[in-house]
Amino acid sequence: MAQGMPGSSPRWAGPAPGADLTLSFWRREPGRAQWLAIAAASLAAAGAIWWSATRPDGLISPLFLPPPVEVWEAFVRLLSRPYLGSTLGQHIVASLRIVIGGWLLAGLVGLPLGIAMGWWKRVRWISFPIFQILRPVPPLAWIPLAILWLGIGDSARIFVVFIAAVVPWVMNSMQAVDSIDGILVRAALTLGASDRQILSRVVCRTALPTLVAGARIALGNAWTTLVAAELLAATAGLGYIALNASRTLEMGILLVAMAIIGVLGALFSIGMHLVTRWVAPWARSGVAT
Amino acid sequence: MTPKMEIRAVSKTFHARGGEVAALQPCDLAIGNGEFVTVVGPSGCGKSTLMMIAAGLEAPSSGEILVDGKPAGPAGPRRTVVFQRFALFPSETVADNIAFGLRVAGLERAETERRVAEQLDLMGLTRFRGAYPHELSGGMQQRVAIARALAVRPEILLMDEPFGALDAQTRTVLQEEVSRLQRELHYTVLFITHSVEEAVYLSDRVVVMSKGPGRIKCEIAVPRDAPWRGLEIEEAGNHASFMQLKREIWELIRAEIVRH
Amino acid sequence: MGQKRGRDVSGRSAVRSAREPVAWGAAAVGLLLLLWWLATAIPDLVPPRVLPSPIDVVLRFVALIAEPFSGATLLGHAVVSLERWGIGVLAAIALGLPLGIALAWLPPLRAVVTPGFELLRYIPPFAWVPIAVLWFGATTTTQAAIVFIAAFPACIINTQLAVAQVDPILARAARTLGAGSARTLAKVVLPVAAPTIFTGLRIAFSNGWMALVGAELVVGKQGLGFLISQGQINDSASTILVGMTTIGVLGTLIDAVLQRAQRLALPWRPAAARRFE
Repeated sequence: MAQGMPGSSPRWAGPAPGADLTLSFWRREPGRAQWLAIAAASLAAAGAIWWSATRPDGLISPLFLPPPVEVWEAFVRLLSRPYLGSTLGQHIVASLRIVIGGWLLAGLVGLPLGIAMGWWKRVRWISFPIFQILRPVPPLAWIPLAILWLGIGDSARIFVVFIAAVVPWVMNSMQAVDSIDGILVRAALTLGASDRQILSRVVCRTALPTLVAGARIALGNAWTTLVAAELLAATAGLGYIALNASRTLEMGILLVAMAIIGVLGALFSIGMHLVTRWVAPWARSGVAT
Repeated sequence: MTPKMEIRAVSKTFHARGGEVAALQPCDLAIGNGEFVTVVGPSGCGKSTLMMIAAGLEAPSSGEILVDGKPAGPAGPRRTVVFQRFALFPSETVADNIAFGLRVAGLERAETERRVAEQLDLMGLTRFRGAYPHELSGGMQQRVAIARALAVRPEILLMDEPFGALDAQTRTVLQEEVSRLQRELHYTVLFITHSVEEAVYLSDRVVVMSKGPGRIKCEIAVPRDAPWRGLEIEEAGNHASFMQLKREIWELIRAEIVRH
Repeated sequence: MGQKRGRDVSGRSAVRSAREPVAWGAAAVGLLLLLWWLATAIPDLVPPRVLPSPIDVVLRFVALIAEPFSGATLLGHAVVSLERWGIGVLAAIALGLPLGIALAWLPPLRAVVTPGFELLRYIPPFAWVPIAVLWFGATTTTQAAIVFIAAFPACIINTQLAVAQVDPILARAARTLGAGSARTLAKVVLPVAAPTIFTGLRIAFSNGWMALVGAELVVGKQGLGFLISQGQINDSASTILVGMTTIGVLGTLIDAVLQRAQRLALPWRPAAARRFE
């Protein structure tokens, strides 16, 4: 099965471009140029619809969906003056601090634990049921408890982000070690490696791409949860901006906040993909989630 | 003279959900120093299990493995294995794969480098030393696996259907190479295959196993001074003595397959 | 010492250890429960508002079933949550399933949809809450909309992947036998992709359930999320714990039921490799 089409992320899998001219147009994979043209046209059309629908005599009231101009102006405004007590940069840093902090903390705990669970049966027998019980509870459901315990401060949000990230870290790390072909362990044994050497030289290295994938999923979870946490328990940050903008009906600012949230999420994902590539150049790209 | 490796009364029974499954009846096999012994037999006779026990990767239900007359102990570089599925470490380059056993043993850098270069040269891999396994063809990967197994200078080399996953052409090339290596270096080898031709071509002795649960049925010696030794396998196959041996062994196996 | 597969243990221990994992797991959970109870039993160690004793939680559970709290009994809140979730995921399937199939089957469509989709995909469902509240007010529609937004991407992506991963040789074989595009899709590709599609839908359902809780925390007057936020406002940790447990249990139950349904309706093995979320 061929990998992703040109210009798109690997998950949009399909047959090789232009491969089969006996198929009708609709069933045929467009070539690279065609693809870009269609994509550009589609974006342009969406933009045009947005612009015309939000004109003064258009279909949509500016309270529902602000015109593109308003969004741009809001963006400029956010860049130039502080909003709700902090500049845009400070808000972004406030969000990033919590998300990265919680994610790293979760990794510090989750990565070794997951590997241990994959390697030693007993550790797994003890820990796995506990995670199975914790897993179905959405991380956000911990927010009220976190607020009760820790108040509306940074620690409540870090706690919730930690919970959101620790489960993927643990589960995916465990899976990564689990899915290593037993024959590699056997081969290492015949070459004289001790258990510890097998763990460090073979298991951890071979599992690296999967471990990084787990880290990526954990980061995605952490980001999603943080935004929600900021809607409930924050005094700065992008979610906080969005919440306030919606209350004061500053639609432009709301959309800008959402867009920045999205962009940061995308950057995290792309960043993690690059990390995978850098850390394990020998790994073939698999299906991403 | 003490045989290099002795398989003494080794049997194996697996415990499955339904009860017990006998995989191997008690087997005795002695392999002398520098001898190339091949085990053949019908599918499911347990030859791979025998190999795993000989390698120390599985514990026998009864019996023991002796090396130089003493219990062999757990798996280790004295008896390295070449697996059918290559088992190369995907995160390591060719050179690093070959060096693995040396590094694990703590061999010093210069000597490790020297031995790796030696193996690369021996198996014709020097050009590929920086490549990763997934970039190589099956035949190349198996060469790396052989190089890796030889780099630690094992006392015994175990090969578990090493050419089973390769296409016919690559298989022929590698068979001839192993034959050449054996004639030059005289390793002590235990080889598993279900290709009778391969067994005759490479071995000093062919051991035939019975249908599963297997036991050693009989052993057939392959003379070292046979006229077809050293020839390419195609040519060797045309010699009468070669064909005779092949027929003999195959008849023994066929009798097992159709038994009961 | 590492207990990895590579090391064979002689057959004996295989039989005995079928029950071992369960024993260890139960012991671990039991130990935690014991520690919890002990922590709350020792006077003054932990204030009850922070960590209620297990008994309190059970009592609270019973109380919430019997009497309304913040507008409804536990069951009432659960039903409301399930309703909103149901509407949201049904909408996500209704839109996402056909669209996912179409995207896999008609490549030019991918070029049209991908840019917009990728742009919006990275905005977490909760970032949509403020704007959803503005559009739909503090009503069920808002909650359902958030569930939709959470479930829709998973629906569409996983469906698209499931269909795309069907071996193209099957479609080609169908063509050589004279089947048209539509028939190939309906009779050949979709049945093969169905189990994988269903697995993807289960992930979407689960995403939707998780998102619902968050949405109910922020806005709304009923539902399990609302219940636990009320628990926090009223300083009642036991209410929160009951709510959290109910949410978790319901989520697991839903997935278990769906798994069962999948096994009954689509018993053949999915073709794609296992994925973990």
